[in-house]
Amino acid sequence: MSLVSIENVHKYYGSHHVLKGIELKIAAGEVISIIGRSGSGKSTLLRCINGLEKFDDGAIIVDRQAVSDDENHLRELSRSVGMVFQNFNLFPHMTVAENVMLAPRLVLKKSRSECRELADNMLAKVGLADKADQFPGNLSGGQQQRVAIARSLAMNPKVLLCDEITSALDPELVGEVLKVLEQLKAEGMTLILVTHEMNFARDVGDRIVFMHQGKVWESGPSRELFSKPQTPELQSFISAVL
Amino acid sequence: MMQFTDWDILRNLLLAARWTLLLSLIAFIGGTLFGLLLTFMRTSRRKPLVLLVRGYTELFQGTPLLMQLFLAFFGLSLLGIDVSAWTAATLALVLFSSAFLCDIWSGCIESLPKGQWEASRCLGLSFFQTMRYVILPQALRVAIAPTVGFSVQVVKGTALTSIIGFVELTKAGTMLNNATFQPFKVFALVALIYFMICYPLSLFSQFLERKLNVSGKH
Repeated sequence: MSLVSIENVHKYYGSHHVLKGIELKIAAGEVISIIGRSGSGKSTLLRCINGLEKFDDGAIIVDRQAVSDDENHLRELSRSVGMVFQNFNLFPHMTVAENVMLAPRLVLKKSRSECRELADNMLAKVGLADKADQFPGNLSGGQQQRVAIARSLAMNPKVLLCDEITSALDPELVGEVLKVLEQLKAEGMTLILVTHEMNFARDVGDRIVFMHQGKVWESGPSRELFSKPQTPELQSFISAVL
Repeated sequence: MMQFTDWDILRNLLLAARWTLLLSLIAFIGGTLFGLLLTFMRTSRRKPLVLLVRGYTELFQGTPLLMQLFLAFFGLSLLGIDVSAWTAATLALVLFSSAFLCDIWSGCIESLPKGQWEASRCLGLSFFQTMRYVILPQALRVAIAPTVGFSVQVVKGTALTSIIGFVELTKAGTMLNNATFQPFKVFALVALIYFMICYPLSLFSQFLERKLNVSGKH
């Protein structure tokens, strides 16, 4: 039984056909990297999984629930699907701990002390226990992104979506964020990454999905796909990025 | 015939200025409450609500306040509703202020990065929770200075209510001029009193702008 099941999903922006019948099944505990050129629809697909984008045809089933555009349903969905963004999207007027505590307090209705404990645990997990009372603006990009991961984890999601989460970081800060992802994988978290970190996709990811022109062009186990790309599009993509 | 000393003129103007202040205050508070409601509607992303509010703000921004006052005063009496100058003035100014404040605040909210909404939504926050805990605290910081700045417009706007017979600072000035035939002295004093109300507000707005801009950069 797959945790996330994407069935024949189509999406249009006006007359532009961005997703052309995507089929993808993701098992619990899997780490999937979605790669492809910009404009291939990979971020759009990711955003369809948690309802940030509507799709026009097909179905997405997450943890046995179909994704629909009903507002209440989407809030329900947000408990099983976490998301981390390229630009962190931390709340700048709250401390790091408050950022992490907000959703457990408001959505899960946990007590303040419970939330604080949860926040401390999550921040310790990403190696930022000592930054709890700082404001996000005082942290480096890598630290901010780790806070964003902790904030998502506090809702105890079944799957974490990562939308180019290292793309806005200085090169020397990428490693600390990827290390957190590796640790999450070791703990059995299901990860779906849209990424440009090919080494990470190859070494840590279980499976790679190469998207091209709104379709899943080629997919397979990470190492195989990199060593023996079948289609000329993937071959040229790999030679361009590696 | 009664003689007006300079002190009499000033005293009467200051007494009338109380009504200018009171009317401004009511217009501003009423406009704030109603404007806040409109801002929520406009931010809700429900098409009919958004269009309704847009029509409303366009209407009140696109017509002179004086016409709005006339319509509130004469229009309602045509419909058989008897309104005093006080009611009509209050009503028109509240509606006028709410339209402008809604526009100012919606602009402040829209200036925040879209990612703030998306992150809140991904965490499962409702629209009102997102507004209350994420959007408004940040928008407030941007909104305070232009809001205080707009309060100056409200104070000056109350002068128009003299035309429908509401006795505030400007109307008192007209009446005193009719009695004393000293237009320059009377209206200079009127202008001075308006200035003494508005100038501190302007200064306050500039002060807030500087202060919030410095600490607003994280």
